[in-house]
Order: sequence, then C-alpha cells, then structure tokens
Amino acid sequence: MSRFAEPMARLIDELKKLPGVGSKSAQRLAFHILRSSEEDASALAGAIHEVKASLRLCSVCNNITDVDPCVYCSSPTRNQRLICVVEEPTNIAAVEKTRHYNGVYHVLHGSISPIHGVGPEQLRISNLMKRVEDEQADEVILATNPTVEGEATATYLSGQLRRAGLKVTRIATGIPAGSDIEYADEITMLKAMEGRREL
Amino acid sequence: MPLKESEAIVLRTYPFRESDLLVTLFTRLEGKVRGVARAAKKSRRRFGGALEPLTYVKVTYEDRERQELARLDACEVLESPLASEVTYQRAVALGHVAELLDELLPDREANDAVFRLGVSVLSHLRGTEYWLPITYFDLWMARLMGYLPDISECLTCGRALNGSRAFFHALADGLVCPEHKRLASSEMSAESRKMAALMLKLPLSAVDPASFAKLPGADLRKFLLQTLERHIEKKLVTRGMLERMTC
Ligand SMILES: [Zn+2]
Ligand SMILES: [Zn+2]
Repeated sequence: MSRFAEPMARLIDELKKLPGVGSKSAQRLAFHILRSSEEDASALAGAIHEVKASLRLCSVCNNITDVDPCVYCSSPTRNQRLICVVEEPTNIAAVEKTRHYNGVYHVLHGSISPIHGVGPEQLRISNLMKRVEDEQADEVILATNPTVEGEATATYLSGQLRRAGLKVTRIATGIPAGSDIEYADEITMLKAMEGRREL
Repeated sequence: MPLKESEAIVLRTYPFRESDLLVTLFTRLEGKVRGVARAAKKSRRRFGGALEPLTYVKVTYEDRERQELARLDACEVLESPLASEVTYQRAVALGHVAELLDELLPDREANDAVFRLGVSVLSHLRGTEYWLPITYFDLWMARLMGYLPDISECLTCGRALNGSRAFFHALADGLVCPEHKRLASSEMSAESRKMAALMLKLPLSAVDPASFAKLPGADLRKFLLQTLERHIEKKLVTRGMLERMTC
C-alpha cells in the first residue's frame, strides 16, 4: 500500500513521468503543490491544460505555435524568402539568440537516422518542397546538427533543393568562439579547415 | 578499479539522465561494452565528435563495482565517419553496420575477427561504393557468427550446386537444388554464388569493385539478411531501408 493518500500518490506518479524527475523530486514537487495557494495550483493545472489544447504546428514551417501561421511566418518585417532549416523547434531559439537572423524557419521534427528506422519519408519535408516549388524562397540555410544524422539530412535536402535551382547553404562548423585550437579534436579541426573563408 | 584502454567502434548513443550519454561500444579488448560518458551532452569539449556512431576510436574506461555500466574516461578519434561526405546512402550503410554489430554480438566477449572486419568495412565505406562493402560485411558476419552453412552444395541432398540452379527459403538454412526447393523460395543466381565464394576467399581490399558493380547481389543480401534475422529472431530496421535504396 502507498505511503500517501490516493490523490497524492497519483500526482507523484504523474510528475515522475517528466524527464529528469525521480521519486524524490516528484515527492518534493507534489508537496510544494499541496502547500501552495488554490490560485497557484489552478494556474499550473490551467497552463498545462492550455498548452495541449491551444498549441499546434504552423502549417507553413511546422514550428510549434498558438496562431497559424506562426509569428515568424506572418511577420511583415522578416525576409520570407530566406529559410533556415532546423531539426527541432527548440533549435529556433538558438538561432534567434544571435539577433542577427531576419529570415524565417522550417522545422523537420527530427533527422535521418537509419538505425532508428527514420528515413526522409518520416521527416516533415513536403511543405518545405512546396514553399520552394511555389517560388517562395531565394536561399535555404541548412542548420541541422553537425552529426552523422544531421549531415545525412543536410546532404539529402541539398540534393532535393538544388534540383529546384535555388541557393542552398550549410552552416559552418568548427572551433567554438573563445576556445583554443590546441584543444580542438581532429574532426572539429578538419571541419574548421574545410569551412574556412577568404578575408 | 584499473583503467582499461582499447580500440573500439562506437555503435549507438542514447541520452541518459540530464546531460550524460549512454554509449554502446564494440571494443577490441572485450567485445561489446556499455558505458556512461558523463556530461557528454552538455560539454562537447571532453569527447568532441568521438562519440558519433561508427567512429573508430581509442577509448579509456573503467568498470565500477557491482555495476553493469562502465564509466568512459576518454575517447580519441582514430577515424571519423564525418571526415567524408555523409550522403543518405552512406548513412544507411553505416547504420546497417552498427545495427548488425549491436544485434549480433554478445556483451563482453572479445571477437578479434569481427573487430577487424568492422574496421575494414568502415574504411571502405568512405567513398561512394556501398554495395560491395555492405554485402561483404553481411556475408562475413553470417560466417563469423557460425550461421552460414556451405553454400556450394544442396543442404538436403548434398549434391554440388555448381552448374545448377539454387534456391533459398526464409525459414530454412542454406541453399537447395531445384529438386528440393520449397514453395515460396527465392533463387540465388550463379553469379551471386560465385561472388560469395570469391568474397569468402579474399580480403575486402582485393575484391574488384568494378566486377561487383555489374552484380548488385540483391539475392545474396536477401539470403544473408534472412539468415541473420532468423538467428536473432528479430527484424533488422536497416534491411528495408537498404532494399529501398536504389543507387
Ligand atoms: Zn511558421
Ligand atoms: Zn537437393
């Protein structure tokens, strides 16, 4: 039998399903919720409910959004003809952090991973091809991860997109800013040399 | 516990806890080993690109008291798959090698012949020729795991198949003559059988890719992968992707 009253045990069980939350943390969180005010507890429950009820994928770029098209795709100040392709919605935040990118996005929701049975058919590529075929783009930047899976995805997409005859670029990879080349591993160094540019 | 050092091939990685990676390695020293690379997700400094699947590395690790998972201490790249262009076809071929090694090898059992085969196949998968290294790998994995009977004779009557047609079935080992073929069998061409016999005699570097290009050997691969799947009692994820791959 559980050490906790049934509703408490249920809350702990639900919290334990969250990533990085073990039994101890789940108990701590559950007791915190129990001691919090009625309003705070309702606000939390409401926010959880609303996130599921109101969020969906943008029909243009597959970003997670509450309005369709999303804020990027409907922005009049952004260059709608420059598309940055990323693996996951969370990658958008990383690009936005630069505050120097003024184009729009396309989210694949994954990368090609043969060992997990994920091929191009399993990724959200078709609406990207449609944007390109409808001549809504001048340049596509491939910003998938510099891993085997990310590279395979970028190579595949560049083959498909080049057929459509537009400019396709790949983000540079190499030595992290503020680090020392002495500590770069050989593959990072190799990529840095390949991605060199003229000054 | 003492640190162990070995050459290894990285087979798979999984996110583990907040910022760690769970890594399956095929080490030369003691076969398949699972270990944890601490903070590998957050800081790429320590392991760099060395934990990408199919990287040939030198790894240092330590076993921990009463724990199945080793602790990875350091990993140095000897050869990275990222050093040459990763096309979709190459990614499927590399994934296939990783899947077979992971599915067929037992934990903590050294197998030097398979290790040398793996390293050789990886180095041949740098170019744009996939079918020869893949077929060679499938054939030798079946042989080294002990799943490949003599394919020069009918497994039922023992008659030599040289000069006759040969058939195989998803539920049975080996090849049979026309007389002993079962319903719903597939045929293996004389060319593919000749190629298999040649590949069992030669190192991969000595097989002429030009002679192979004319013989895609799809029947041979189907026979080999059916054999392997029957022994591991499991469908291989990369098999369908290989079959759908046209060039
Ligand atoms: Zn959008
Ligand atoms: Zn027979």
